Amino acid sequence: MSEPNERSQTITLRVNGTERRGQVEPRKLLVDFLREDLGLTGSHVGCEHGICGACTILVNGEAARSCLMLAVQANGAELMTVEGLAPQAGEPPALPGKTGQLHPLQAAFWEHHGLQCGFCTPGMLMTAYDLLQTNPMPSEAEIRAGLSAVLCRCTGYQGIVEAVQAAAETLRARRGDR
Amino acid sequence: MKPPPFAYHAPTHLDEALALLERYGDDAKVLAGGQSLMPLLNFRLSYPSALIDINRVAELSYLRQENGQVCIGALTRQRTIEFSELARRQLPLLHEATTLVGHLPIRTRGTIGGSLAHADPAAEYPTVALVLDAELVLQGPGGRRSIPAEEFFVSYLTTALAPNEIVTEIRFSPAPRTSGWAFEEVARRHGDFALVGVAGVIDTEGEQCRTARLAAAGAGPTPIRLRAAEDILVREGVTEQGIQRAAAKAAELVEPDSDIHASADFRRHLTEVLTRRAIQRARERGQEQRA
Amino acid sequence: MSSTEIGESVEELTPKFVGARVKRREDQRLLTGQGAYVDDHHPPGLLQAAFLRSPYAHARIARLDTSAALTRPGVVAVLTSKDLVPLVKPVRAASKMREYKETSFPPLAVEKVRYVGEALAVVIAESRYLAEDALEWINVEYDPLPTVANAPTAAQPDAPLLHDEAGSNILLSREFARGDVDAALASAAVRVRDRFRFRRHATVCMENRGCLADYPAGTGELTLRSATQCPGLLRDALADLLDMPEHRIRVVAADVGGGFGAKSSLYPEEIVLCAVARRLKRPVKWISDRQEDLKTSTQAWDEIVDAELGLQADGTIIGLRADVTTDIGAYSIYPWTATLEPIQTISFLSGPYRMPHYRGRNRGVATCKAPMGPYRGVGRPVTTFVLESLMDRAARLLALDPAELRLKNYIRADEFPYKTPAGLVWDQASLTECMQKARDVLDADTTTRWRAQARAAGRWVGIGFATYIELTGVGSAIPVSPGMPIATGTEAAFLRIDPAGTVTATFSVAPQGQGHETALAQVVADALGVAFDSVRVICGDTALAPQGTGTYASRSAVLAGGAAIRAGQTLKEKALKIAGHMMESNPANLDIRDGQVFLRDKPERGLPFRAVAKTAYAGLRRLPKDMEPGLEVTRFYDPFFGTASSATHVAVVEVDTETYAVTIKRYIVVEDCGRIINPLIVEGQVRGGVAQGIGAALYEEVVYDDAGQLLTGSLVDYLVPTASELLPIEVHHIETPSPTTLGGFRGMGEGGTIGAPAAIANAVSDALSHLGIEINEIPITPEKLFRLVRAAEGTP
Ligand SMILES: Cc1cc2nc3c(=O)[nH]c(=O)nc-3n(C[C@H](O)[C@H](O)[C@H](O)COP(=O)(O)OP(=O)(O)OC[C@H]3O[C@@H](n4cnc5c(N)ncnc54)[C@H](O)[C@@H]3O)c2cc1C
Ligand code: FES
Ligand code: FES
Repeated sequence: MSEPNERSQTITLRVNGTERRGQVEPRKLLVDFLREDLGLTGSHVGCEHGICGACTILVNGEAARSCLMLAVQANGAELMTVEGLAPQAGEPPALPGKTGQLHPLQAAFWEHHGLQCGFCTPGMLMTAYDLLQTNPMPSEAEIRAGLSAVLCRCTGYQGIVEAVQAAAETLRARRGDR
Repeated sequence: MKPPPFAYHAPTHLDEALALLERYGDDAKVLAGGQSLMPLLNFRLSYPSALIDINRVAELSYLRQENGQVCIGALTRQRTIEFSELARRQLPLLHEATTLVGHLPIRTRGTIGGSLAHADPAAEYPTVALVLDAELVLQGPGGRRSIPAEEFFVSYLTTALAPNEIVTEIRFSPAPRTSGWAFEEVARRHGDFALVGVAGVIDTEGEQCRTARLAAAGAGPTPIRLRAAEDILVREGVTEQGIQRAAAKAAELVEPDSDIHASADFRRHLTEVLTRRAIQRARERGQEQRA
Repeated sequence: MSSTEIGESVEELTPKFVGARVKRREDQRLLTGQGAYVDDHHPPGLLQAAFLRSPYAHARIARLDTSAALTRPGVVAVLTSKDLVPLVKPVRAASKMREYKETSFPPLAVEKVRYVGEALAVVIAESRYLAEDALEWINVEYDPLPTVANAPTAAQPDAPLLHDEAGSNILLSREFARGDVDAALASAAVRVRDRFRFRRHATVCMENRGCLADYPAGTGELTLRSATQCPGLLRDALADLLDMPEHRIRVVAADVGGGFGAKSSLYPEEIVLCAVARRLKRPVKWISDRQEDLKTSTQAWDEIVDAELGLQADGTIIGLRADVTTDIGAYSIYPWTATLEPIQTISFLSGPYRMPHYRGRNRGVATCKAPMGPYRGVGRPVTTFVLESLMDRAARLLALDPAELRLKNYIRADEFPYKTPAGLVWDQASLTECMQKARDVLDADTTTRWRAQARAAGRWVGIGFATYIELTGVGSAIPVSPGMPIATGTEAAFLRIDPAGTVTATFSVAPQGQGHETALAQVVADALGVAFDSVRVICGDTALAPQGTGTYASRSAVLAGGAAIRAGQTLKEKALKIAGHMMESNPANLDIRDGQVFLRDKPERGLPFRAVAKTAYAGLRRLPKDMEPGLEVTRFYDPFFGTASSATHVAVVEVDTETYAVTIKRYIVVEDCGRIINPLIVEGQVRGGVAQGIGAALYEEVVYDDAGQLLTGSLVDYLVPTASELLPIEVHHIETPSPTTLGGFRGMGEGGTIGAPAAIANAVSDALSHLGIEINEIPITPEKLFRLVRAAEGTP
């Protein structure tokens, strides 16, 4: 299939619903590709050994560490990063009443003070996203276990856990409506 | 912490992967889930000249029942096992152990073959493979061979796998339906590798113990089968004294090291505690199974 | 302090937003991936840096040859200390303290290395990948020197010397005393003593340190983006070190991913990158990886405290005597110096109690470890741990309830302002109230009954209290680090009201998650009487901000908040004068609320604030006689002594009788941080602080071996607690406005971390009291408890 070399390869993938292309050296980490080549700096780098979770994104719908994947491995994949959670949001300043555009998880993090410095937040959101899709009605202990995949040094996790509980309810209600 | 340069191949067939491995010899590394290999590369603790990425070798990813055995393709993700009804019904111990492996986003990528090939003695899967008497199917240029788990784990991060071989399948024979199981472990934090873990499968009838299988993780250079402790259980039954003596024996059988997280003494102590807990819980579960 | 300053406070404020649970306005960008952390910046032509770091703890550099590295692909430059000498002055953290020995901290090692991770050279390349590749081509030869492994051995007279210029590894020894403690202890009815250990701690901000320097050709201007808490402080220091005019340097700290003290010092990498950018005239970025961060970011604590407390038979404290040894690591960090932690420990050791006789001695000893720097709580976590442990032991000896013993000894309400043995002044604190409320929240009787039942069932459960008082919002009377020649006692607010009536408030405090953009906007909005949404807050950019240093030492709410009130009041006065002129009314009869100027006695008459703002710029003819146009002001604030915050923490724990894992069942905080600006943010700070304290108490420890090798160089081995290790923290407030600060604010960012190790250690000691085990060391790991229990049971 591929050429046996260390030189750049062309990759094509979908990120947040849009097709993207890139030229990458095989060793380039997926997170670096997202941040440097695609300008998607929402996914953060905190450890590059899989522990902190700041780089967590969705790969084909499932949460994964983008520091433990090569960009070439994402060739043909469908990725979602924090920027894709609520593509319409992000117009500062956030004024009250404008939460409609945020994803329920983001809105709940805002409401419950689920972030301080915000560095862990993208990884936290993407992990919570996957957690709620595999377990839509998690107990507090299950939320804590699920979120133990991402380290936060600021919040003590309490606001985050409350936010995920609240978002789970919003999402359930939404599904119920339909 | 950026990986050193390497050549990269993403074969789509096993044959192709094996040919590449053969070509590079010792210098190439198979890349499966990357949850152990990628950190090593990022820390520059490993300098392979090439990575053979097997993630596109679809034929290595399956979980199915065959001739009374459960056969799992080496590339099967830990997450797939976690959510597999078949695994849960037929291999409840493997299923329980899976929930103890790292975190959900790790299990999304991490594979059963990678975990076994990596052979971290503190990891859950090698211990489960050992206690369930699993067989590993290895394929090299010369063909396939199958090897019992007990012979596969040689030493710390070292296995019987030849450099030109790939683990393709793991075969489990489900335990009798009347038996109970438990994976008990102590880790410093949720999702961390265990300080010590003990896996047990026992088949009891009242206080009588028909069969017992026990193994420990994190208590030696490889996962350790606790045969002499098993014998005590079968001989003396699951009485309070029998369990106590089996657990004490387990602590003698292990050969733990000291590190910054726990001393060898403490690991021995934990082996005893966890062996007892594993036996008790396995027994309770066995009783529930029958009821 | 003048009485007008006190008079200015509180009453003038008509709180509307202050005190409200306003959701943070920082969050929108942070939640959507639009934050602007240093590493998110990618200017065209960007180069990346990687540092060569010493694998040895102590060695002479025999050879350092970079020629091969220079030829590697993508490499633009490789620099060593030789190249830097003409570009920058060495850093020397000075102090006026007589007992302190000043030493140099070169940005790249000169002649020898003193800890594992010390930088010797820097590679500048087109990418970080290529820079790391080239590091492997630098040829270094080291002549290893004997390791100075830990403070007790380093303090021996025959120990190998780390800094020849100091002539000793003891870089500081200092004593604070009051009364005659030896006589007092000799006369005590009860004495309790022990040797306590507070192990070395790493801060672990989730964002590693990093910076980006740019010096475009032809501009003569240097811009440094840095993950720092102190842009102002860095700018001042860099001007000196680089010998550049200060007004040509701009330091920007936009979004910063946590700080907690570790990002408040000047670091070698910041200096090197500025020098390199200036030389290459290209932007250069360095982002620490986690390994580098654990090796080189300032570490905390590492203290041995021998302490003895004496009490009368009725439980009244009569004296405390302590000897402290602090391992300050290899270098004295700028600007705080190696004296920071040692001095604070002996300053705060007397705690919240009346302490007639006291003597605290400290030595700060240099070793082959990463430099010690400020960390959340500086000096208070260890002193609270020591003193509160001794209090519990005394209570056990005297068969007194530990809470009662504390209540008996707290500084009483009528004793404030209280001068401590070390000379600090507590303006006021709610010690008794915090303890009483904590007992109520705990439901002490029920919990004690539960404990008795659980124990009867063979479980090991315990309850632990800890009270602390902390100095916050420190003004100029006592610098943040005493003796330090730079001023940290003031901050300023620059307020601009534009013709449209919206307000821009600019500060030189620089947050890393504390929510200044929201909290300070609340203060400004109230001070002016305008809508919260019409106030924008800008922090962390020295090109825009008034003179100041940054965010550290629980000072922003007090200092920046106070300056904001002043500036707001000044502009409000002026706006009212203009409005009075426009409305032909006496300004004294006017007020502003909700962006509307109105007559106090006829609120329906008025005009929009916007109209006043427009008039302010409309020229002399529209303004009162002799008034200068414009609505802008910069006001400074110096709280002089600073103000006290206090809290009582309660931990309820269970120890697994077989695995020795400690589980926290309940954690209660009752705290008084004065007037609360935003309860959401305050509670977040308390919870986050407690989480770090729990980490310190049970999980986290930086471990170096005897050869000075760091054994906790990854997040696999340095254990930051996850959500599963933590629990909901019950936070309750007593809100007593500070009598001495503008606005009545007290600082509160550090408290959580101060109380938690002590409360948890006391709870574990209580749980193991039947075995006679007293915890005298953190972290309390299962391994340590296993050994303690074995020893207590007499098992080998
Ligand atoms: C944060 C974190 C926490 C973790 N916690 C745990 C835990 O608690 N318990 C636990 O057990 N594990 C844990 N892991 C490790 C994880 O389970 C890994 O996924 C697993 O050890 C390796 O599997 P992999 O598929 O990722 O293999 P890779 O990382 O891709 O490979 C590992 C090694 O196996 C070789 N290899 C892989 N597949 C094959 C094959 N089919 N044939 C031959 N050789 C092969 C590779 O060449 C490499 O040497 C954790 C990992 C992380 C990052
Ligand atoms: S950066 Fe990927 S897990 Fe930390
Ligand atoms: S909000 Fe700062 S790390 Fe989580």
